[in-house]
Amino acid sequence: MKRRRFIQALAATPAAPALLAQQVQPSQQAPPAPPPAEASLRYSLPDAAAEPVLHFFTAQQFAALRKLSDLLMPPVNGAPGALEAKAPEFLDFLLSQSPADRQQLYRSGLDGLNAQARKRFNKLFADVDAGQTDTLLAPLRDPWSYDAPADPVAAFLRAVKDDVRRATTNSREWNLAASAGRTRDGGGGLYWLPID
Amino acid sequence: MAAAGCTGCRSIKKRMAETKYDVLIIGSGASGGMAAYALTKKGVKCLMLDAGPPIDFERQRVNKSAHELPFRGFGKPGKLSHVFQATEFNANQWVDETQVPYTHDPKEPYNWVRVRMIGGKSLFWARMSFRLSDYEFRAKDHDGYGDNWPISYSDLAPYYDQVEPIFRVRGRRDGLMQLPDGVFIEDTSGESECNKRFIAAARERGIPNTKMRTSMGRGQFASSFNLLLPDALATGNLTIVPNAVVREITVDKNTGLANGVNFLDRQSHREMHATARVVVVGASCLESTRLLLNSGIANSSGVLGHYLHDQFYITQSVQAVVPEARDGKSPNGFSGGFIGGGGYMPRFRNLKTKEKNFLRGYALDWSTGGSPDAKYFPLYGEALQKAVESCRGAGFSCTVMGEVLPRADSQVRVNKTVTDAWGIPVLHIQTHYTSNEFNMAKDAIATLEELCHTCGWEVLGRHDQMFPPGYSIHELGTCRMGDSPKTSVLNKWNQSWDIKNLFVVDGSSFVTGGSQNPTMTILSLSMRASDYLAEQMRKGEI
Repeated sequence: MKRRRFIQALAATPAAPALLAQQVQPSQQAPPAPPPAEASLRYSLPDAAAEPVLHFFTAQQFAALRKLSDLLMPPVNGAPGALEAKAPEFLDFLLSQSPADRQQLYRSGLDGLNAQARKRFNKLFADVDAGQTDTLLAPLRDPWSYDAPADPVAAFLRAVKDDVRRATTNSREWNLAASAGRTRDGGGGLYWLPID
Repeated sequence: MAAAGCTGCRSIKKRMAETKYDVLIIGSGASGGMAAYALTKKGVKCLMLDAGPPIDFERQRVNKSAHELPFRGFGKPGKLSHVFQATEFNANQWVDETQVPYTHDPKEPYNWVRVRMIGGKSLFWARMSFRLSDYEFRAKDHDGYGDNWPISYSDLAPYYDQVEPIFRVRGRRDGLMQLPDGVFIEDTSGESECNKRFIAAARERGIPNTKMRTSMGRGQFASSFNLLLPDALATGNLTIVPNAVVREITVDKNTGLANGVNFLDRQSHREMHATARVVVVGASCLESTRLLLNSGIANSSGVLGHYLHDQFYITQSVQAVVPEARDGKSPNGFSGGFIGGGGYMPRFRNLKTKEKNFLRGYALDWSTGGSPDAKYFPLYGEALQKAVESCRGAGFSCTVMGEVLPRADSQVRVNKTVTDAWGIPVLHIQTHYTSNEFNMAKDAIATLEELCHTCGWEVLGRHDQMFPPGYSIHELGTCRMGDSPKTSVLNKWNQSWDIKNLFVVDGSSFVTGGSQNPTMTILSLSMRASDYLAEQMRKGEI
């Protein structure tokens, strides 16, 4: 489009006077400062703004996992416990993504805990009292060995002990507590972005 | 590219005459980088191809907390199932197994850990920097098993002498026959009281100790990326092409000599052909062998792909607690403190005596002052929290690194039924550890436990279960050197017996690996081979 036609076209539009004024009558005032090249926006993680939706465990299994998580990693000296860190909810997600053998370990382990609680104390694991849980969690007092226990409940307890601890210390809540000086730092480091 | 009048079918002879490069180097890691460093300094024009991209480390990595990662630091389940070193933080630095797969019998797992970037695995190695000795180079002479190398320690020592200053190796000279001293930045640090106790207990049993020997490098790396390639580029004699996935080495049918390679661009998959007078392969042990096998060359001996070996690793083999250091009662400090620091105990078995149930030996990489993992405590809840806190900084731990015997039936071959993302047939890996390694591991754990008890330390956990082969990322052999073209792929100069202008300069050339980390030896072999190659080219022999 030639310059003359361009100006004619602009003149036919409602905003044309202003545009033309910009074009032919330079302002005598200093232009406003341009916005920063990179706008500094702040974002939140989903955990700070929403609650996880559960998919994997049954209601009974999840109730047992919550009880177990609280026993394994209670709040101590200002550090958040597993429940505050939403470790059970995170593990529900993690297990939903895990290989079948890991899923089976968790499902059979939680079902086994409920079955033992029902057999010994006539109630679900989520409802047993402190003395009773001590009995049911006896395998956790066995000395460490490299090979996982043959008993599926004992093998599950060993796995969940590590997972609950890690899900707690790697949580947002733990990180906030560490920032406030209420516990030691959780995990952190240099993250590799995907390579194109 | 075609000149005026060219119909696109010029003879290979004519193309060779026009080639711009004297040497084509495949791979930019320790071995390829050293070849470029040594050759370009002698005026040799080199073209380097690497399958990976160049990395801007400032832009590629960002600081994050574990809770900011999608899987809270656990990593995506099932991703990189063979790379036990992978975390959710570093998962993107390793080769994706779905992109470059390999096969193995499910009963014989193999952990093939790979990096495809300019600099290769030298970007991420543990920097443990040792020399081999004649206990390795002349191993058959010593115990009758396997084969000797075609070279002795004295042949390689002058090259170790040159490599160590480049990588700035810190260490202590102790005059150990099985771990020759080098050109070190002298480590004059002292020992904590705990370490003195452990070293004394070992000495009583004839077990020597030295300081860890570590490449200090420069800045944040001790890599080909920052120590070799910049100098090579500065000569004006090196051209680096990243993202070049080499598919095959091409050979002139008339002369039988290598004349270049076909490669594919990593991103577009466009195929290209590059020519040179000589081809030097340093693509990493198994990738180099895969390339030769896929090219159908250099295997008149039938040995190519055989004698795969590495070092077996047992991490956290014995985990103990020093009672006096519980509850922060004793200060941590490498020198003059009560606890902290570590050491390296090189091979001490089967040197002057003979063990009943295994050949060769193992090394111990040990440290004090760490914190035992919660899994070792038979507790849970608040009691566990207190125990972990009580033992913080009071731990002892050790990694066992054992020699694996090279065996003809420990091998790789091409699996033509499976291809990678670029259509290149993958490797099938067939190897496993045997009673020699298992018996050695049992001896190591029993020895460590005895030492801990002698020191009065409480053993929390012990095990002799090694990781699957490959874990150490010290894969060696499969393209070995030798004295005869009937029993080896390469001669004593890392030169193919079959194709005299083809050299393989990485860990695939090893005959035995000992228990020492191999990087210094790979670098020295590559420098030695490159010096020889440059001299042969100068004389017109190649």
